Amino acid sequence: MAMQQGPALDKDVVIAPVALQGAFAEHQVMLKKLSLKRKICVVLVRSEEDLAKCDALILPGGESTTIALLARLAGLLEPLREFTKIKPVWGTCAGAILLAQEIQNPKKGGQELLGGISITVERNGWGSQVESFEAALEVEGLRDADRAFHGVFIRAPVVCSLNAKPSEPPIHVIARISAGLLPKTQTVVPHDEDDTDPTDARTIVALRQGRHLLTTFHPELTADHRIHEYFVSECVLSTCA
Amino acid sequence: MTTPIATPNGSPLPPPVAHGVGNSIGTPVVAPVKSGLAQMLKGGVIMDVVNAEQARIAEEAGACAVMALERVPADIRAQGGSDPHMIKEIVNAVTIPVMAKVRIGHFVEAQILQAIGIDYIDESEVLTPADEEHHINKHAYKVPFVCGARNLGEALRRISEGAAFIRTKGEAGTGNVVEAVRHQRSVMSEIRKASVMNEEELYAYAKDIQAPFHLLKETARLKRLPVVNFAAGGIATPADAALMMQLGCDGVFVGSGIFHSGDPAKRAKAVVQAVTHYNNPKILAEISEDIGEAMVGLSIDDKLKGGRLANRGW
Repeated sequence: MAMQQGPALDKDVVIAPVALQGAFAEHQVMLKKLSLKRKICVVLVRSEEDLAKCDALILPGGESTTIALLARLAGLLEPLREFTKIKPVWGTCAGAILLAQEIQNPKKGGQELLGGISITVERNGWGSQVESFEAALEVEGLRDADRAFHGVFIRAPVVCSLNAKPSEPPIHVIARISAGLLPKTQTVVPHDEDDTDPTDARTIVALRQGRHLLTTFHPELTADHRIHEYFVSECVLSTCA
Repeated sequence: MTTPIATPNGSPLPPPVAHGVGNSIGTPVVAPVKSGLAQMLKGGVIMDVVNAEQARIAEEAGACAVMALERVPADIRAQGGSDPHMIKEIVNAVTIPVMAKVRIGHFVEAQILQAIGIDYIDESEVLTPADEEHHINKHAYKVPFVCGARNLGEALRRISEGAAFIRTKGEAGTGNVVEAVRHQRSVMSEIRKASVMNEEELYAYAKDIQAPFHLLKETARLKRLPVVNFAAGGIATPADAALMMQLGCDGVFVGSGIFHSGDPAKRAKAVVQAVTHYNNPKILAEISEDIGEAMVGLSIDDKLKGGRLANRGW
């Protein structure tokens, strides 16, 4: 993994949801509502030309197969991979799948990923839409840490394993769900029913690696800006990430 | 091309979960997990498929979901009636969400589809209605519903019954976009009208269009429907899809238009790209080239085989 860079200090920071398919407008609105010391400029990315202006990206929720195909057809797949190697990127749900290094249960014939975070995820880990759920989450590092973050999980992916090599930035887990919420259909790993299990990767719902952020739920579907704020200040603007 | 300002379909939906200081958002009109899945489908194309093979073609072409049914509307017109039973095979063939249709008012068909584990139900006028007075009480289900509408009143009545997602009715199975345009224009024009009304006028307007007042008021405030709104019924070309997007839709359904065309895989991919790049005529020109014969468009008049489906629903 190449050295990840923060934005130059002398200009506005450009942060962009990738606007190929999915809930990109929701992210755009959330970003515009942030009040931070540094001025941020929010644009949408649909082409290589748009991408060239960006300091950081958000890969939104949507369908990962659709977004990957549209990226390829727009000539964006390789540029996005290059971008991901050096600049901050946050993936939510489908975006989290794209940002993973490896996936289980891809579409038949496999599907294209961007990589960027050294984990394996399982697509539709919980099953169909009837298994979608909401849960109160404790997310480390947020402002007002005592206040739970409302996690909306929609056909969400499940984190299967963390695979960071010693040469790569370490993976830092920032939120887990209780093991009782895990998909019942999967092989059961021994766990403590009452609490978030620190040994089971599948309970992880938010994590960081270097300047990359991953959430398997949808902060953009709530009115709570704290994870957007976290991404901008900790992953994009911070000089010590 | 960068879009600096939000276009009609780029305009945000209300955050369904009210949290945070100083939040003025009221109660969500539907549960966040239900409306949320529709939000994930935005900017995408949902394709009608009749078997697992077509479902795979749709997934490879970038469909964000498929609608499983026994026959596409153009064939339902020709053969009458439909009763989906290939759904499970389709569910197993693809990783994207699978939707399926039930007859208007047929709540048992809905119970069955929910038990199968379908991702979304379309209470659809394309099938013969099971009830000529009542629609399904869609609040009672875990699985979310999409419903067709020809105007704002109809859309808000469906949302009030629990629909988490609205589409134009258009005229399915015709390959003719004119009715979808009419319905989308009605919805948008009525929203614009409502958005400048004061409260007394909104009460009168709610009565006039037979819509629940609180939903009309929320729509007027948002200047858009409070749920995701797709185009459906007669979309056959990439340009049709882009037209509906520019008229303010969040995405499109393509039924017969794909698998009744000369080269389904190519056309499907072109429509998918058209929905993403709907505002970029240069890209639209490129993707509209060399995509095979379009489905033959039927004129929508009294002689239309199977009659006008859009008149079903109340």
